[in-house]
Order: sequence, then C-alpha cells, then structure tokens
Amino acid sequence: MNALLTHLGISLRLHFRNRMALLYGYLFPLIFLVAFWVLYRHEKIPLLRHMGELLTVAVLGGACFGLPTTLVSERERGVWRRYRLSPVPTWAIVTSTVVARYLIVLTAGLLQVAAAMAIGMTAPAHPFDLWVAFTAVAFAFIGLGLVIATLADNVPAVQALGQCIFLPMLIIGGVAVQLGSLPLWAQHVSAFFPGRYAVEALQSGVNGRGFMGARFSLLALGLIGFAGCLAGAKLFRWDAQQRFAGRGGKIWLVPAFAAWIAVGLLAEWRGRIAIPVDREIASPAVPPVSTPAPAPVPAAGTPVLPASPPPVAVVPPPARQLALPPPPKPEPVWAKLTAKDTEGLDFNIPPDQGIVAPFAAADELPEDFMKDQVESVRSKIATWPPGAEGDELRCVRNLLYIAAVPDAIQLPVERYMPRVVYEHLIDTYPKEKLTKILTYIVLHPEEGMVIDDISDLGVEGAAGDPTLVRERAYLYALKFILRLTGKVPE
Amino acid sequence: MPAHVIVRDLRKAYAGVEAVRGVSFTIEAGEIFGLLGPNGAGKTTTVECLVGLREPDAGDIEVCGLDARLHPREVKQKIGVALQSTSLQDKITPREALRLFGAFYRERVAPETLLERFALVEKADARVETLSGGQRQRLALALAFVNRPQLVFLDEPTTGLDPQTRHELHAAILQMKRDGYTVLFTTHYLDEAEQLCDRVAIIDQGRIVASGTPRELIAEAHGLQSVSLVTSRPVDLARLGALPGVNDVVGASTDGAGVRFHTSDAVATLGALTRWLAETRVEVIELQVRKGSLEDVFLGLTRSHEEAGGAKR
Repeated sequence: MNALLTHLGISLRLHFRNRMALLYGYLFPLIFLVAFWVLYRHEKIPLLRHMGELLTVAVLGGACFGLPTTLVSERERGVWRRYRLSPVPTWAIVTSTVVARYLIVLTAGLLQVAAAMAIGMTAPAHPFDLWVAFTAVAFAFIGLGLVIATLADNVPAVQALGQCIFLPMLIIGGVAVQLGSLPLWAQHVSAFFPGRYAVEALQSGVNGRGFMGARFSLLALGLIGFAGCLAGAKLFRWDAQQRFAGRGGKIWLVPAFAAWIAVGLLAEWRGRIAIPVDREIASPAVPPVSTPAPAPVPAAGTPVLPASPPPVAVVPPPARQLALPPPPKPEPVWAKLTAKDTEGLDFNIPPDQGIVAPFAAADELPEDFMKDQVESVRSKIATWPPGAEGDELRCVRNLLYIAAVPDAIQLPVERYMPRVVYEHLIDTYPKEKLTKILTYIVLHPEEGMVIDDISDLGVEGAAGDPTLVRERAYLYALKFILRLTGKVPE
Repeated sequence: MPAHVIVRDLRKAYAGVEAVRGVSFTIEAGEIFGLLGPNGAGKTTTVECLVGLREPDAGDIEVCGLDARLHPREVKQKIGVALQSTSLQDKITPREALRLFGAFYRERVAPETLLERFALVEKADARVETLSGGQRQRLALALAFVNRPQLVFLDEPTTGLDPQTRHELHAAILQMKRDGYTVLFTTHYLDEAEQLCDRVAIIDQGRIVASGTPRELIAEAHGLQSVSLVTSRPVDLARLGALPGVNDVVGASTDGAGVRFHTSDAVATLGALTRWLAETRVEVIELQVRKGSLEDVFLGLTRSHEEAGGAKR
C-alpha cells in the first residue's frame, strides 16, 4: 500500500509539473466551457443543459488521450521496464496510474462545474448522483484509454487512435451534437458509442432525475468500462518491444469492443434509440417559476432587461400555468395607447436570422425531425388555457412565452415557434388591438407572471430563468409589432 | 561462501530464433563477474532472464538461494539492477526517484544516504531532464542500491560515457566489491572487464565460449603476443606466413600501410620478418610488440566462432 500511495503521489506531482498536461487537462476544458458560453450568448441555461457534454469532453480528453499518452511515453522511455525490475506487480502500478488519472479528470470536472457556476449556472440538481455518474464515465473511458495504450507503439499512434474514437463520438456519438438534432441513422450509431451514455448519465445528475434517469446509461458505462479494463490489463505491455503475438494475441480486444456492440444492441432492443428533440433532459431541474411584477421600466432600445432580477417567487406545483388573473378593470390598461406610442418604441432588436430571438420566414419550413413538435404546438395553441382563457393582455403575454421559452433554452425549433405564435395571434385578435396589447407589453416588460415550461404543448425542457424568458418575450413582442405595422413584411 | 547465482542450461528463443542456447555459469558471493560478448551474443537476454524481465524457455536459475523462476518477487527483493540507461520520467528528481523505488521494497536505504554515496546531493532536487549523462548513470546505480541488495546487476553501465565519468563509475564499482557486494557486470569495454572483474565469461552466439579469471583466459590463449607493424610500403600478407623462421602467426590483418598479427614466438618471427623487409627494401616506420590481452582472447574466440559459422554456411 505504501508503494502504491507513493507512486500515486509522485504521479500526481509529475502531472502538475507538466505544462502541456495541465494545458490539455485543465485549460482546454475551461476553454471549451468559455467558448460554449460565448457561443450561446453568455447565458447560463445552455451551460446547465449542456454540462453533460462539456464534462464528457473533459473526461474523454483526460482518459483517452492523457492516460495513454502518459503510459506510452513512459513505456517508450523504459520507465515501465524499470518498474518491472521491482517486486511490486505491474497491475498494482497500473492501478495507481489509473487512480491518479481519475483524480486528475475529477479535479478537471470540478473546476469546470465551479467555473460554470461562477458565470451563472445553477448548482447541479443531484451532486452525489453526478459524482457517481462522473466516476462511471471516467471508468468507461479509462478502460478505453488502457486499450489505446496497449495498441499504440508510440505517442503519435496514441493521438491517431484517440482521434479515431474521439471524433466520431463527438460528431455522431451524442457528445458535441445533441442526439435530437441528428438523423435517425446517426442516433442508431450513437447507441454503440459510450459517449452517448456518458452525456446522458452526467446530464441526469446535472438537471435530470439523477440515478432514476440514468440507470441504463450507468449500466452501459459499467459494462464498457469493465470490458475495457479487462482488455487493457490482459494486453498491457510494459515494454515497447513486447508484442501481442506472444501473449495471446489481440483476442482480448474482442471483449472490449463486444461490450460496445452489446450495449448498442441492448439499447436497440429496449427501444432507446430515437430521441425526440430535446428529450435528453428527463425532467426540468427547476420547477415552473413565476415572478411577481416589479415596478415598470421604460421600454428601452436595448433588449437587455435590468441586470438585477427581482426575487423569484417559487409557486408550488401543480400550478404549471401560474399566471393568475389580475383584478378586473373597467377598461384595459392597453386601450389608451395610441399609434404614437407604438411609433415611439425602440426597434433596435436582433435580426431574425440571428441567434437571439430568431424568427423563421413564412416560407421557411422546419426540418423533418422538428415537424412533429411544431405541429404539436400549432394544434394545441388555440386551446392552451394560459393563452386562451381570461384577460387578453395576460393571454397575449403568455402566448409570447411559447416563442420565448424555446429561444431561452435554445431548442432547435426556436426559430419556428414565433411564426406559429404570430399566426395564431393575428388569427385571434384584430390587428389594431393586438398592436396596442403588444405595445403595452413592450412598455411594461416586467409585468405579469412568467411561464417557463410549455411541456403541455409538447415542448420539453424548462428555461429556469424567468428574467431571460421575459426578455425574449419582449423582443418577440417588438418583432410582432414590426410585422403588424408593416415595417417588416410578413 | 555459497554461490549467489547458479545458471544451468538456460535457453531462450524469440520467434523460433535461439538467442541463448544452454548457458551455464555460477557467480560466487562477493565477486565481480563479467559477462562479455559482441552485440547480439545473448548477454542482455541472459541478464533479463536472471532479473525477471524475461521468462526463459528452459533452464534453472538460482539467485541468492532462491529459484528465480518460482519466486521472482522474492528474488527481486534481494537484487539491485542498473540498466543501460536511466529509465525515469523527465520531471522526477533524484530524491523522489529514490523515495519512489525505495517504497517498492521491504528493506530500503534512506535517499539521503544514497545521494551522498553517489555524489548526487547537489542535484537531489533537480529534475532528471537537467542531469548530465554521468549524473544520470550515478542515479541509476543509486537506484540499484535502494533495497540493500545482496546481488547487483550492472548492464553496460559505462556505455556512452566520457572517460572521466567512466573512471568515476569504475571507482564506484570497485567500492561495491570492497563493501562485499556480489556484482554481475556486462560490458563492451574489455579493458574495464580486465580491470574490474574477478572472473569473466565470454558469450557468443548464445553460448559461453570461455570463462575464468582474466589472467587465466589470457594464459589459455597459448601465450600469444600481439605484433603491430607500420611500413613504408604495403606488405604482402600471403608471403608473410611463408617466410622461413616465421612460426605460428594467427589473426593477421592489414589496413594497407600497417600489419597486425599474433604469434607465440615473437623473437623468431620478427627476426625473419625484418630480414625479409631489408631484402625487399621496405622501411619499418613503427614496430610494437605487447603481450596478449583479454581483447585478443575475446577477438580470437568470437572471430573463430564467426569463421566456423561462416564455414558452415
């Protein structure tokens, strides 16, 4: 035990002396995080929703590149040959090396989560479950790293083999591109890669149902990890000149990759392949929330609402549509508004083709995998209680949230929802009245309750950030007014 | 004193090619034993089998009274090994390396003691990547002593070192003998084997072709003397052997202006040679006669094997 602890301590110390290892192990995951954050408009919701992917990339890099690079470079130098001259068995030193790598990727993961929280991400919903999932992911990828180390004769070969596994997993394995955005054939292929289960298990700990939402993924990762570690142990080469031929050949590679196939077939058999858009998150981590209306703020040209949101009042379920009707008034508050008020609005808003508040053109059709979702909303919107019952101002505001929530979560369907809402509004309200109501909403953006969960309409996921949803509703109100007043062609 | 190493009929083949073919030898406690041989002779494979890096195909190995094939870990507790080059991570320091490898053994020497003994105190906390070749080799020797070994294996420890560093290592190896260690030593440098080893074994093509003390081996080489001659014009080697009075000339070679050969009767051979050179008006520029060395023995034995192999082919 003393030997293992000493080796573990020195392995960690040597890792922290290696600038390149630190760069790849710690800085790169942070760069991914920041890049992701910037790419997604500096919003915290995507970070929460994509933390599983970011953590998977961090573990994948550390385990499939870092571990085999260390093992192979030490083997090339003859360090393992030197270890073998000692009475400590090889497996014990391999175990110590693997534990060191686990601690390295764990600290990289913790750093990533801490950095994400520092820039606004809410804390993971199930920290213990997340740690267990992280350990399972590390186990699976470390097993893979051991196999790569046995196959590669030198460090460049590690890079080549690592890329062969890393890139497909990123692109069609559900790690970098959301499964829901992939065609069905790619979703089938992804079931045979561990990356998909890594993302699912981690994401379930971040904002899903924890263990309950990741049972199959944890099982898959455990199986893949066990097979990888078994193959890695059986094929382990302490000497660069040692060849497979004399030691049972490459037959031990079979269980390593058979586990991938078995997991994929099991997923097929259990019908876990096709993923509807944005079903990756099993359930919203944050319950539906509403904010009380603070003091009105003047409509500004900037789409950004006040930086300090009012305290969030959490309304207990089951009141998912929580917009309570305001006290009846003899005359609607928006009725006094005139065309001059509308003209005076600041229409300095993001373009329709941008990433903030996108708006599909009338002739722009959703891709096949989004059609069902768009049609579901279109068919249900007219009878959706928050948009159909009670005060007209409240109904219009709530309908705006149907466009705002997908935009806040950045769902693939985000650009098509405004078109559905707009068409419903102009079918439901006279243009003049609708323009006045929307003008009032723009002038009083922080009034009313926020709906940030529209799963009733078939759109899963919750934004968890009422301020952001309110801001997006404000932007869409302006975009609707531009169309109603003819400033932008419909 | 009991023998520390007994090797009987050791055999090891790689992909059907026998690298070691029935090697047998013993090493007595407290002696420095040299294993000599040209590249590919099988000495590294023999050492690797002894220290547990390779599993032999056949044969018995007894190290420090233990069957090395049955109890490899116990044997490793009792031996120290310095490989040809120090195999350590670039970023580790000598102090850390000694502490790390010391942790692998039941008995261990404090890193400070070894740092002092192998003159590494000043570099104790420097990274290995910054050490000179000599310092790295001293560290390799220090690592061989972390477990108070009874037997030390030194695999070509001086290869590639400058003369000064070699000299320092020779002193360190002689100190090991004075301290009572048993040492198995492989080298390409026959002068250092002659200087350091109590006994040597010459291995060639996987077999021991001679063994004994350096003096015994030299004596066994029929008392041959080595003659080196440089002349103003090239000498016809074929004529040399046929000259009257030239006796028992072996291993003659020429590089144009110079001739080298071995003979058991230098006086008679040189008399006949100088007369012939005077008759043919060839001027002698340089003449050197010396007694036979281990190198002569080594070259004679390994060359004769090579020639025998060539004749067979």
